[in-house]
Amino acid sequence: MIHKTSPEIGGMGHSIKRKEDLRFIQGKGNYVDDVNLPGMVYGQLVRSPYAHARLKSVNTEKAKKLPGVLAVITGEDLAKANLAWMPTLSYDKQMVLATGKVLFQSQEVAFVVAEDRYTAADAAELVEVEYEELPVLVDPHKALDPDAPLLREDREQKNNHIFHWEVGDRQATEQVFQKAAVKASVHAFFPRCHPAPLETCGCVADFSRATGRLTVYMTSQAPHAHRTVFALVGGIPENNIRVISPDIGGGFGNKVPIYPGYVCAIVASLTLGVPVKWIETRSENLQSTGFARDYHMTAEIAADREGKMQALRVKTLADHGAFNAAAQPTKFPAGLFSICTGSYDYPTAFCEVDGVYTNKAPGGIAYLCSFRVTEAAYLIERAVDVLALDLKMDPAELRRKNFIPASKFPYKSSLGWTYDSGNYEAAMKVALDKIGYQQLRKEQEEKRKKGELMGIGISSFTEIVGAGPAHSFDILGIKMFDSCEIRIHPTGKAMARMGTKSQGQGHETTYAQIVAQELGIPAADVTIEEGDTDTAPYGLGTYASRSTPTSGAATAIAARKIRDKAKKIAAYLLECNEADLEWEPGKFYVKGTPSKSKTIQEIAFAAYTNIPPGLEAGLEAVDYYDPPNLTFPFGTYVCVVDIDKGTGEVKVRRFVAVDDCGNIINPMIVEGQIHGGLTEGLAIAFMQQIDYDESGNIQGGSFMDYLLPTAVETPHWETDKTCTPSPHHPFGAKGVGESPNVGSPAAFVNAVVDALSHLGVKHIDMPITPWKVWKVLQEKGVAA
Amino acid sequence: MAKKQLVSVKVNGREREAAVEPRLLLVHFIRESLQLTGTHIGCDTSHCGACTVVLNGRTVKSCTMFAVQADGGEILTVEGLMKDGQLHPLQEGFRQEHGLQCGFCTPGMLMSSYALLHNNPNPSEEEIRRGISGNLCRCTGYQNIVGAVQYASAKMAETKTAEPEMAGGAK
Amino acid sequence: MALKIEKTFEVQEPIDKVWDVLSDPRKVATCVPGAQITEQVDEKTYKGAIKVKVGPSVTDYTGEVQIVRLDAQNHEIEILGKGQDVRGRGSASMKMTGRLRALPNGGTEVISVSEIGVVGILAQMGSRVITEVSNIMFGEFTKNFLARLHEPSDQPVEQAAGAEVTPIKATSVAWQATKGLFRKKPENVS
Repeated sequence: MIHKTSPEIGGMGHSIKRKEDLRFIQGKGNYVDDVNLPGMVYGQLVRSPYAHARLKSVNTEKAKKLPGVLAVITGEDLAKANLAWMPTLSYDKQMVLATGKVLFQSQEVAFVVAEDRYTAADAAELVEVEYEELPVLVDPHKALDPDAPLLREDREQKNNHIFHWEVGDRQATEQVFQKAAVKASVHAFFPRCHPAPLETCGCVADFSRATGRLTVYMTSQAPHAHRTVFALVGGIPENNIRVISPDIGGGFGNKVPIYPGYVCAIVASLTLGVPVKWIETRSENLQSTGFARDYHMTAEIAADREGKMQALRVKTLADHGAFNAAAQPTKFPAGLFSICTGSYDYPTAFCEVDGVYTNKAPGGIAYLCSFRVTEAAYLIERAVDVLALDLKMDPAELRRKNFIPASKFPYKSSLGWTYDSGNYEAAMKVALDKIGYQQLRKEQEEKRKKGELMGIGISSFTEIVGAGPAHSFDILGIKMFDSCEIRIHPTGKAMARMGTKSQGQGHETTYAQIVAQELGIPAADVTIEEGDTDTAPYGLGTYASRSTPTSGAATAIAARKIRDKAKKIAAYLLECNEADLEWEPGKFYVKGTPSKSKTIQEIAFAAYTNIPPGLEAGLEAVDYYDPPNLTFPFGTYVCVVDIDKGTGEVKVRRFVAVDDCGNIINPMIVEGQIHGGLTEGLAIAFMQQIDYDESGNIQGGSFMDYLLPTAVETPHWETDKTCTPSPHHPFGAKGVGESPNVGSPAAFVNAVVDALSHLGVKHIDMPITPWKVWKVLQEKGVAA
Repeated sequence: MAKKQLVSVKVNGREREAAVEPRLLLVHFIRESLQLTGTHIGCDTSHCGACTVVLNGRTVKSCTMFAVQADGGEILTVEGLMKDGQLHPLQEGFRQEHGLQCGFCTPGMLMSSYALLHNNPNPSEEEIRRGISGNLCRCTGYQNIVGAVQYASAKMAETKTAEPEMAGGAK
Repeated sequence: MALKIEKTFEVQEPIDKVWDVLSDPRKVATCVPGAQITEQVDEKTYKGAIKVKVGPSVTDYTGEVQIVRLDAQNHEIEILGKGQDVRGRGSASMKMTGRLRALPNGGTEVISVSEIGVVGILAQMGSRVITEVSNIMFGEFTKNFLARLHEPSDQPVEQAAGAEVTPIKATSVAWQATKGLFRKKPENVS
């Protein structure tokens, strides 16, 4: 049962204002580039202009001679210390600085260190590199051709194939398709895009010869995991490494991988014995750090003529770039893509994914993807709309007919997931009512008669977060539990630390609210700290919407352990049995005699001053939480668009987002997350792509070409919710950060296709630029 | 390396000066020479606006100016918004309306909004969106930032906090 | 990044005089802004260099120019140029076909079709910058070419190998590129 706490306590459900805001609004945040240490110097990378070339020579003489330059490190230098390569989070390896050859444009080739960043930039210009160009591979469909250039000569397997992964029942699915009355299919490309958090990646590596300790201030979403990797790769004892993730200006998955810049800065600091700062530019960020998506997907749905879905078959080609640096749990090379059965009850399904190398930047898991869930949700929601078109059925009606009914939860999908809870019809009803669906369909009919283009797009997504249970989830072998440690002070205030790391999600407030909920200590009295590996308990970090499901749960359990001890102290103070005590947020009282009570503050004081015999002093607890399952947030989004026939511009007239993330800690924060994620979905659907030309030149390597929506392009978002708690989570919460990016691209695309479907359009690939729409209008003869 | 030049500016009401290379960007001058790290760098093409400050009464993207160009001028940065320990209504608005998440775009947003409200104390939603269209945000989707500016606009009208002269320069 | 650029212009000189300049890479090179021929390897191959400055970004390409086809009767020349930036900033290649046509008024029409490939930093700025740079370079080339035609044909080739070449200044490129966004038709070179 969840007690309702007072606003003064600020437990679950209260939209209390954020505690972290105070420093940010004063410009007193402490981001990595704000860190200034005595004697600090600056590093800059030299990068390859070629997508595929032999590295013939790197001449650093001129650069080294420039006054103010302290060192120039090359791949050859690193190779002597066995550091030219490093492991990726996918058990592949990646070059830190190139040796032998370069594999993508902008790949790191050398690292210069100088007294100030301007001198470092001058020195980088003076490094002379000789290359011999090699044939370039940018089309993943050609990666497995017999005459395709071989990219990874370092691997035993001499081809560009990274993995083949499949799940489900191929034979049974095949059989259903053979007999199916209706077969709908769609080929949907999810373009390569980039999360582009406003703060780029960077670090200050500080090795102290005085203490023998290495401190790395780093834009890291997973500081403990990074510390362990540095220890293993660098051979530095883990107790002598401290990773500090201070304030992070947005992560979105971009700050999960380990980048060559970090390693070079660490090596430079170890060599020079002074702090070395490395901050990448925006162009470097877009061109070399973890991109997102780049999935070429085909989905086929087998159904009967009344629209009952019988089977789903999915085949995907995954373009991973030059190294497999995608960050996902080991057993899932395609992440959690097998959630592609979505909200629908498929008796049988089959899914296969092949990953290939190309001459592009490495990555793949980023941009609120929940580990490839964005790709999966987009695919199934597009496929369902195509089936609706084929059957000439209303897309809402088709979905309703096939939703997993609320009574079937926990639901085992035919691709192996056990969905914890869901009520898809309820969420859809709220969304359709709120947008006035029937009225809109009538309006569309009228508009079509007049030749006006208006579309309604629905996306009823189910996603999967909270990685994850130790039996199946690990990254580089480290299990994906998470943690919380709480300490109550004598005066009843508290401090709690977690293994996660906020990059704007409001943890300093929401975790405090969990403690407030469980212990009745006002959230204002609870200080939350994350990100310093010397003090925070071990965790796997914040990404894939996992914090509330894992560390949030750990916080609740740790608080309950404290409450158990508090009960013993209360019983001692009130001279009664524990069994006689009742709890309400903030105090224990004797059953039937509410005036006989002890507040948590009085109990805390007693824990240091009047300790019950046989009990340890203090009032603290730690919990490492192994989630029993993942959680499955869901929702229905509805988008209404109008298309300008003269320009092809798509205007989003209205967007209603109904999300169900179970029990909510802070509604204001959840709503903010939805706004942000929908804006990212809008950007992806209409304006973003990182593309490469046939020579491997990146197109979209700066904000001139890679577009971010401003306040002008961004529409007004309407949000609402339903609440279907997770049965296995300590307070029924599911996590929500990525849902809007998971669910919205399909809503946008479905709306545009819906506006044009009467002209015979079934699918348009993202990004749906005005140019693309205009061409379709021309083709169909309806352009103004 | 070119000979250093002395740059003197009044920043947040205080006279400051430093000897800098002519090619030193204003944003680096503010962040490093003056150690005011509230102004941020988010891109390298002048798009994001994280570096926005007020110079001689107008907002500028400090990444697209040299420090020497600001010599003799008056600058207002985010650190200068608070007065006597009191938050500016805009700063209050951002907190009350949840207009920030990671906080990185916030200083730039505050400075752009500051200038907007000075020139247009009662802007419509469209005017606000246009007024902050030079500032990119990845976290909030802008909706609550609009709310924050509306909050400040109402608060300033209520308490008549309008300043006759915009701090950071005569205009 | 591959670009195809077709340019046609007219000169008043008779076709044989024009051919004399066009068919000699050393004479043509003096007309290309920022370029020089440094060495003749054999009768068809030359070594050369070209310096291109786009804003603060300077690329020094060195490479080879090869005459693939020389047809004096039909006044056609096909050359292949390929170069790499000396500091490792990227590479560029160009296949150019030049054709002359005698005009009834005694003049000559010069028709050129170039396929340009750029790899590296310059290519990241996008085709609009490269197109503008090419247009500006071509504009200067025709000016120089016309001037060269008016000189006596027995003048020694001006540029000595290794001389300091003036890089093409493309500070105006940004402006041209912006203007280009609003132009309806490509500029005609006259």
